[in-house]
Amino acid sequence: MHYSPALYLDPGSGSILIQLTVAALLGAGLFIRTQWTKIKQMLGKDVPEANEEENIDDDFEE
Amino acid sequence: MTILKSKQTQHPASFRDPSGFLFTRKGLLYRQVNQKYAEEYALLMESGIYESLSKAGRLVAHQEVDIAPIQPEKAFKVLQPERLPFISYPYEWSFSQLKSAALTTLAIQKRALNAGMSLKDASAYNIQFHQGKAMLIDTLSFEFYKEGEPWVAYKQFCQHFLAPLALMAKKDIRLSQLLRVYIDGIPLDLASDLLPKSTKLNAGLMMHIHLHAKAQSKYANEDIQEEKTKKEISKDALLSMIESLRNTIKKLEWNPAGTEWGNYYEITNYSDTAFLHKKELISDWVAEKEPNEVWDLGGNNGVFSRLASEQDVFTVSFDIDPAAVEQNYRQVKEAKETNLLPLVLDLTNPSPALGWHNNERESFTERAPVDMVFALALIHHLAISNNVPLQQLADFFSDMGKWLIIEFVPKSDSQVKKLLQSRKDIFDEYTLEDFERVFESRFTIQKKVKINEAERHLYLMKKR
Repeated sequence: MHYSPALYLDPGSGSILIQLTVAALLGAGLFIRTQWTKIKQMLGKDVPEANEEENIDDDFEE
Repeated sequence: MTILKSKQTQHPASFRDPSGFLFTRKGLLYRQVNQKYAEEYALLMESGIYESLSKAGRLVAHQEVDIAPIQPEKAFKVLQPERLPFISYPYEWSFSQLKSAALTTLAIQKRALNAGMSLKDASAYNIQFHQGKAMLIDTLSFEFYKEGEPWVAYKQFCQHFLAPLALMAKKDIRLSQLLRVYIDGIPLDLASDLLPKSTKLNAGLMMHIHLHAKAQSKYANEDIQEEKTKKEISKDALLSMIESLRNTIKKLEWNPAGTEWGNYYEITNYSDTAFLHKKELISDWVAEKEPNEVWDLGGNNGVFSRLASEQDVFTVSFDIDPAAVEQNYRQVKEAKETNLLPLVLDLTNPSPALGWHNNERESFTERAPVDMVFALALIHHLAISNNVPLQQLADFFSDMGKWLIIEFVPKSDSQVKKLLQSRKDIFDEYTLEDFERVFESRFTIQKKVKINEAERHLYLMKKR
């Protein structure tokens, strides 16, 4: 992969590495959750679909 | 050419991003978009991001205008952004204001990612409060998102938002003032040191502050190109990280209690009659003079500021107490008020000019003058607690605005007696007669009314 060469902010080496780690952890969690949902669905359990497009003002504030 | 140059200037805080910059010409604000930003600008406008965010009041609206750019050799377009009545800074915000600004930044980043873009910066200075809502004011913050890439502004986001919010919530509300010292946000190693150890049990703060700070010091001088190329961050993982930041921030709470003025109006020496009379006078004078902007200095939780903002006058309510400002902002949010901006400010040491060349962030006084200033139940704090002579007070207020509504609180008032209780009375000049004589050097006294059932007088003055 490549990174944009014209970054005007220094993202910081440590900050990139921690992001890679954090994202991997969270990504693994997400993967497990989705697999779990699939398993539950296969077993015939009713799982509510996640609402993709939420109200625009919902997540701007608390 | 020289004539043209003298009437136009590049904004002193707008120089970092090669995508473009702000400038003023004949008093109007413009943004030059450079050629190198042309494709990103097109995606911003065509992807629907601009439209949905600006319609929701979360991204500054602009118009493309046909005027000469300031650097024509680089220029692609000139925009005229909506002008805001007042620019405030993160060290002037209450806890919930900084929190709203943080959540808004994350919500915008999430929307950007879903539309193929990403915020290339996450500076708290790119957020302003407009019509009661936190809003991104930098149209050029959006860049192309390439799947696999990390968020370049992650470090800046943690420094500008997460670290100060965590310090304010978990350590001491006054640590927001570190933002005055560190203009690019609070260094994460400092935040990590200052935060209580217990915050390491908070998964979000552990990852985004404590481990983040450790990683920064460990890899400070290392080339990580190799590691970077080995790993990628999927879009879903990046979105989960944004969600993790959002959850961490949402869980941070600060509730005003036990500070200086939080319950001031419950302990004031005003009777109901006096309070109502004072309100009535202020309302009438605002209605009569129709100012286009009011600054309420020492505005507490905004009870008198609202006498102006409810008459559709844009009003900034400044107070030294973060608890009062917090209360005020919560009220603004709850009632969806659009004309009132509460801010934290210590008048005895107001916000200085900061940043490169002392020119990036304006001082408090550089943002003056305004049409009308309120100084209600304030003068005794400045004259007696801070020993400011009356002449200097008159000079200061005359620099602040054209109209002044000021309350004189005499020594016989119980609040002043309290201030003098523990110190020697060295204030021979602090009398009603001296106050009027001194203020008349700068103002003409247009109205003077003794407040019913109180020892205090309210004045309407006009700058000479």
